[in-house]
Amino acid sequence: MYRINELGLTLEIEDDLLCSLIDIGIKHYPNEFGGFLIGNYSETQTHLIITNTILPNKFKGTPYLFERDTIGIDDKLKQFYAEEPKKYYLGEWHTHPNNLPIPSSTDINAINSIANHPEVSIKNPLMLIIGYDKPKVELGFYVQFKNKLYRYE
Amino acid sequence: MDKSLHLDSVIKTHQITKEEQLLNKHKDKNKEVKEALEQKYESNIYSPFNSGSYAKNTAMNTKFDFDMVCPFKRNAFGSNGTLKQMYEDVFDFLYEKYKDDANVRKQKVSIGIEFFADEDGDIVKIDVVPGRELNQDQYKDDENLNLYVYYKYGNFDQGSERIKTNVQAQIKNIKDRATKEKDSIRKVIRLLKVWKNTKYNNPAKSFFLELITIKAFDNKDVSGNLWGKLETVLQYIRDEVTGESFTLKDPGNGSNDLIDTLTTTERQTLSDDMKNMLERIEDNDENIKTYFPENSKFLEEEESDNKYENKGNGFYSNPPKNERFG
Repeated sequence: MYRINELGLTLEIEDDLLCSLIDIGIKHYPNEFGGFLIGNYSETQTHLIITNTILPNKFKGTPYLFERDTIGIDDKLKQFYAEEPKKYYLGEWHTHPNNLPIPSSTDINAINSIANHPEVSIKNPLMLIIGYDKPKVELGFYVQFKNKLYRYE
Repeated sequence: MDKSLHLDSVIKTHQITKEEQLLNKHKDKNKEVKEALEQKYESNIYSPFNSGSYAKNTAMNTKFDFDMVCPFKRNAFGSNGTLKQMYEDVFDFLYEKYKDDANVRKQKVSIGIEFFADEDGDIVKIDVVPGRELNQDQYKDDENLNLYVYYKYGNFDQGSERIKTNVQAQIKNIKDRATKEKDSIRKVIRLLKVWKNTKYNNPAKSFFLELITIKAFDNKDVSGNLWGKLETVLQYIRDEVTGESFTLKDPGNGSNDLIDTLTTTERQTLSDDMKNMLERIEDNDENIKTYFPENSKFLEEEESDNKYENKGNGFYSNPPKNERFG
């Protein structure tokens, strides 16, 4: 389980999903790649579980940039929402080939833009960065909370 | 975020006393290995002693550093005995004694004994460092030892017959600093060790980090809160470690320069690591957690009223159409 001690918020991700995200990222190496994070919140809204991902149909990836479009993901989002318990769009993940999972200024702009976007209902979007810093894979889970980016440990 | 508060928590959650059970197991094994060596080498050995971070009180609970120095008499392996013979003999003895209970392997200047995990899953690791006095019976007076270099160690070549050192003086060097300053030095050393542990196969030895921290305190105005002190030391390493004339004298032997334990490329990497770390922490305070993580095993749970929230219309969202990450 990942935790932000300062905020008392926690997160978990299913192992199979995490392994699958790491593998998908490796397939696109040395370019960046990513997708949408799906899951749900606990009743107390202090804990969230990432259960699925939606991969973009349209994207552009280079070793230093990943750009995705939402084209064609609407139906999948609705299907997840129809499940019991309901699953929501929680945030986004992307890779950092040959680098640490530390947000770049582009990443910080993206998470701000998501949090403030009128069509986004969640106040606290997540960002997972998978860093492939050979020979290790390192994960950085972040959440935007009150205009600040916090890292889970 | 208060960076100093976080660093205090990093130190608190890495304190060796938190892992009392494992610490006691290390102490017991340490005693057992010491007695086995004394029994085997009888009058050819002076009393083995601990020289690692535990002896210097800079240990952390994620990686215990039990180094045991074994001071041999000059003629312990015959009057023409070599340092290589000493090293091989100690290795053969430890291998035979512990091969069914541990992985025993040759390391740079030591022999590592890593005991298999016990019923609690705990692993005890002790590094035995054989050293030989310079002349028969001289150790009692000067505490100087020659070590054998088993494989290439920075700029010291494999098989090089000696790194002369005085381990007792090395320990004293850190123990003897004025109390107020000593606490700050120890804290910074502990933090650098936490950072070193986050890196895969970092070539900088703990002893190197200890000496360079002390040198930073000697040469810079290291003051302010804990982050201010750590930042000054990181800047010092970044700026100085690649300098051609930079030296790091072993307090145990002024003619040993610890900078030679790193190659030129490794020095550049260390400087780059410091530069990146400082820049990323400057970008965002939160990044300090990447380089200096707390030990989650000992984090105290904090109650809080914070929640994941929505903007008033439930949690269902459509992500923004285009988004770019870097």
